[in-house]
Amino acid sequence: MQYLSNMNNEPNWEWEISTSHKWYQLGLRELVHYKDIIVSFYRRELLAAYHQSVIGVSWIVLQPLLTTLFYFLVFNKIVKVSTDNTPPVFFYMSGSILWAYFSDCLSGAMYSFIHNAHIYNKVYFPRLVVPFSMALNHTVRFAIQFGLFLLAYIIFMCVSGRFVMSWQVLLTPLLFMQIMAFALGIGLITSVYVARYRDVEHIMSFLLRLFMFVTPVFYPASIVPEHYRMIFWLNPLTPMIETFRTLFFQTGTLHFAYIAVSAVTSVSVLMAGLVLFRQKELKVMDTI
Amino acid sequence: MPGPVIKVENVSKRYRLGILNSGSLKQDIAAAFRRKGALQDSAIPAANELWALRDINFTINQGEAVGFIGRNGAGKSTLMKILSHITQPTTGNIKGIGRLASLLEVGTGFHPELTGRENIFLNGHILGMKKKEILRKFDEIVDFSGIERFIDTPVKRYSSGMYVRLAFSVAAHLDHDILIVDEALAVGDTDFQIRCLQKMRSVTQQENKTVLFVSHNMQAIRDLCGRLMCLYDGYIIEDGAPAKVIGNYLQREKMQYLSQQFDKPGEAPGNDEVRIKQVSVEAVGKKIIDAETPLTIACEYWQFPDGDSEYMVGVHIYDWSWICVADMHSEGYKRGEGLISAVCTIPAGFLNQGVYYISFDFIKGKDKKVWSFDACLSFEVQQSPGYKGWNGYVRPGFPVNLSFNKS
Repeated sequence: MQYLSNMNNEPNWEWEISTSHKWYQLGLRELVHYKDIIVSFYRRELLAAYHQSVIGVSWIVLQPLLTTLFYFLVFNKIVKVSTDNTPPVFFYMSGSILWAYFSDCLSGAMYSFIHNAHIYNKVYFPRLVVPFSMALNHTVRFAIQFGLFLLAYIIFMCVSGRFVMSWQVLLTPLLFMQIMAFALGIGLITSVYVARYRDVEHIMSFLLRLFMFVTPVFYPASIVPEHYRMIFWLNPLTPMIETFRTLFFQTGTLHFAYIAVSAVTSVSVLMAGLVLFRQKELKVMDTI
Repeated sequence: MPGPVIKVENVSKRYRLGILNSGSLKQDIAAAFRRKGALQDSAIPAANELWALRDINFTINQGEAVGFIGRNGAGKSTLMKILSHITQPTTGNIKGIGRLASLLEVGTGFHPELTGRENIFLNGHILGMKKKEILRKFDEIVDFSGIERFIDTPVKRYSSGMYVRLAFSVAAHLDHDILIVDEALAVGDTDFQIRCLQKMRSVTQQENKTVLFVSHNMQAIRDLCGRLMCLYDGYIIEDGAPAKVIGNYLQREKMQYLSQQFDKPGEAPGNDEVRIKQVSVEAVGKKIIDAETPLTIACEYWQFPDGDSEYMVGVHIYDWSWICVADMHSEGYKRGEGLISAVCTIPAGFLNQGVYYISFDFIKGKDKKVWSFDACLSFEVQQSPGYKGWNGYVRPGFPVNLSFNKS
């Protein structure tokens, strides 16, 4: 719905439904009007996800801990991959929570249409509400996991006396926003196609798995051969995860050029996602 | 002076059937190649296209209650979806004033794991209410639904009746200027349906809101709406006073359902207490039905009694404008589970010529409606040969006696 300005000779129409709207009309102002529903959807996700589970919300904490333990056993004890002088537990934990944040945000947005088709088919509200509330859900999850990481980190520093954190750590929220922007962007783009062609769902879950292997989740970027290094760093997630580790453990240098490229990529992907989603949000419903 | 609040101009809607049915990439790529060749003559409708709406134009003023009728597939639901902003028109545009809410279904977005209270908020938000609004009306909503005791129970533990009551209560308290209602009333028990209708009526008449109402229930639509539009094959073919539009609609459809039969109770219409086996209307001893023909109206049904309640079956005859001409019922009976056959005979010379509809009502105790099989039969009483036609609903042939006084 577009809100119209005053017109002459005609009643003062307040809204109009037409065959299309301009690409720059993202309806973000309308989204603010519907902010209650974002929170409401978020609560629904949260309550529904942990209903009838014995340990409930503890899963949020348990999941990264178990993953970290598993990575530690497999990659540190068995495969013996370097962790670049980062204490292994923190290395794997940072990799796993950042990756989980990325992939959860992506899938959350990707299934917007499929999982909510029954609602989308019956009532109007800005469709962006769903991916945004999913992102909110995963951000809260991630915040808790990051809190856990910080707690462990502070304890570790006090015990080991290895105090290397720099003031730049305060910039980590920017990294998180970048991860979310990138994930949400891809998620919004794919959501439109997943709704139309179920094949895309299979392709995406396959690609996402492969993508994890070319992202420094359980190995450091430093072991990548010189020959592939440039391409490797053009993956927007590489600078994000590497920078995160560097800020906390001062194990390498910051690659500002790659960080900038990654930031520009993420924001562009998000914008493309928003525009595409808005253009297709109603058309998609005719094909589900 | 109430002005227009909705203006629909040249709205058409096309569905591509190919895309609608196939979800696979391969078929679409193939279709894309085929379309490339046919791009120039896109004005010619392709075989796999369906125009659900064609060139719809109308204006609705503030405070009007407008009903939409038409057979299934005529485009009513598509029109409501476009007005609700759920799907986009292929051509044309719609302008409006005021907040619009659509109730194309009751309880949209209800989550079974959440409690009644949580679902009121979730559903309210989805329908466009703000948190403050819901808080203000919360007690009223709960009151109207009549399920105070279960408000903190997850709705998955609700009976389907309770679920519907709660859902409608939220919808009924929407504070919007324009309300779109699509068959949402075709659920719930009869008591609650009557309350819903009353609520809807008060919304239009007292609160001066605009209501757009789609239903197959001619009775309800007549009671509620001051103006009707009839859709046929995507076009609006009539727009006017309800009685006239309904009459023309029913006559145009000329639906003659002289019998319906169902073999398995599982697939037959009905509910937990009654399932229809067959219904029929027959002319006794004649092929065509005219005013001189006696009729037998029969209904055979499976009864699954609830305890040892007393039941009763009623036959209603409606005329083309949905006015009840006659209401007949059996005596009360108590029986175990089994097949029951009810037959009602209408003597010759009772119904005048015209189109009639029959509904069967199943009543428990004195007046609790268990279920009704609405408009399941229809027939036309033809003009008797040799007569030009008579007025009136009935033709009982009571004598008109003359006496000639000598002056």
